[in-house]
Amino acid sequence: MNDKKTMVKIENLHKVFGRDIHVLQGIDLQVTAGEVVVILGPSGSGKSTLLRCINFLETPTAGIITVDGLTVNAGKATKEEERKILQIRKKTGMCFQSFNLFPHMTAIENVIEGPVTVLGQSKSEAIPYAEELLDWVGLSDKRDVHPSRLSGGQQQRVAIARSLAMKPDVMLFDEPTSALDPELVGEVVEVMERLADEGMTILAVTHEMHFARDVAHRVLIMDGGNWIEQGPPEEIFTNPKELRSQQFLAHILN
Amino acid sequence: MSVPQETGGSSIPAEAHAVLEEIENRQKRFKRNTTIALLALTVFIFFLFYIIKLDFSFMAKWVGFILTGMGVTLLVSLLAISLACVLSILGALGRLSKNPIANSIATAYVSLIRGTPLLVQVYMWYLALPQLGKALEELGIPGIQNALTLPAIPAGILALGVCYGAYMTETVRAGIQSITIGQREAAKALGMTETQAMRRIIFPQALRIIIPPISNEFIAMIKDSSLVSLMGVWELSYRAIKIGRRYFQSLEMLILVAFIYWLMCVILQYAQEKIETHMARGDRRVH
Repeated sequence: MNDKKTMVKIENLHKVFGRDIHVLQGIDLQVTAGEVVVILGPSGSGKSTLLRCINFLETPTAGIITVDGLTVNAGKATKEEERKILQIRKKTGMCFQSFNLFPHMTAIENVIEGPVTVLGQSKSEAIPYAEELLDWVGLSDKRDVHPSRLSGGQQQRVAIARSLAMKPDVMLFDEPTSALDPELVGEVVEVMERLADEGMTILAVTHEMHFARDVAHRVLIMDGGNWIEQGPPEEIFTNPKELRSQQFLAHILN
Repeated sequence: MSVPQETGGSSIPAEAHAVLEEIENRQKRFKRNTTIALLALTVFIFFLFYIIKLDFSFMAKWVGFILTGMGVTLLVSLLAISLACVLSILGALGRLSKNPIANSIATAYVSLIRGTPLLVQVYMWYLALPQLGKALEELGIPGIQNALTLPAIPAGILALGVCYGAYMTETVRAGIQSITIGQREAAKALGMTETQAMRRIIFPQALRIIIPPISNEFIAMIKDSSLVSLMGVWELSYRAIKIGRRYFQSLEMLILVAFIYWLMCVILQYAQEKIETHMARGDRRVH
């Protein structure tokens, strides 16, 4: 944490699905630059929805979201807000549970897609950095391979490289290892760890306890649409205060 | 049969080899027997032609004349399918649009065209449109009657293109909707606009899915293009029917023209397979 700048700020965020499914119930969250935050919680507690609200893949019902100084008020739906949402998406990278690589493109084409289409770079401008990123996630040799020929772990690492190609200020991980065979989890977590080491601001929803315990600076536990407890991992894992978090942690740690 | 090689220490038991061989032989037998059956069928058809005394020399005499109509058939089909492709993409975007005007125009287009016979539509373009032009002219739009009085070939191209465009609209729409939501989300997460996501991510993938049904439509159109003969265009079938009637040898002419259509469709089918293989790059099954 080199500076104390606030990178992500969420104020009183609500999300209602349909008419009455109140998934997020007034969430507040502030993440400083370089901080690694892990969000835990039972299935259906709204963790993924919260993450997806930050880059507006879900439209929040109410609340204010600020990413790197860009503030969007969810209640308004003006052209100006639309433009800011696109800006926020460029500043945030997202990794999905199901990778969602573009199957009709090779690994390198996936990685340069953002810079070329969104940032308007030429292919020759984008390729050197994309190659660097593929090398960084250990997949230089898969440069010209289509996703269908890659293992789940390799696909997720290409997906991380694809997000990083946009030079994001924040990385959002939405259960990045949940769809992986157990022996492939390690290679993805290792990439996430190195990303954390390099000072990237990270918000991760994950069941990787090792990542939560050893890499995260702060762990938040969510249930029923709001936080039930938060704190540094050593405190949360050894001495949870709330009964519900005790029960939840007992459940997942065994 | 050569003795199977044992590789790398793993030994497949003899019984298993027997089973594998039996499976292989069964496949070979099936292939061989299918070929024999097809040959027999061909011989039988030619035998049939022989006993009904089909006049092959008559067919040979007129084949050149009929083939001259192929140009018109191909011209009409190619231009009509191009028009249909453009209309189907616009139609599909309209059907998926949240804009109520675009959406309702596209929905009405598909419903109206699919719900009326192509034959009626052909006459509509050729015979009814000039009348509409006349009415409009009287309402005070100068020159509209001439503009709406279409020669036979343009009327045929418009009729076929607009009709097939409606059917293909639904094909394209289904293709676009078959792409998983995750692809659109990944594109959005990179900061793409709706248009960029459609152009770069969704449509290229949908295209791969809709190529087979679109080729199907094209093959159907080659044959439906014979409907322009209704307007007296000298294309393939019109020529065959004319000659057949003139000499009372319709059987020969119709068999000949049917064979020409069939050949064209076989060639198109081959092209379709080539395109599909090309489009399927990156798909695991093909490697």
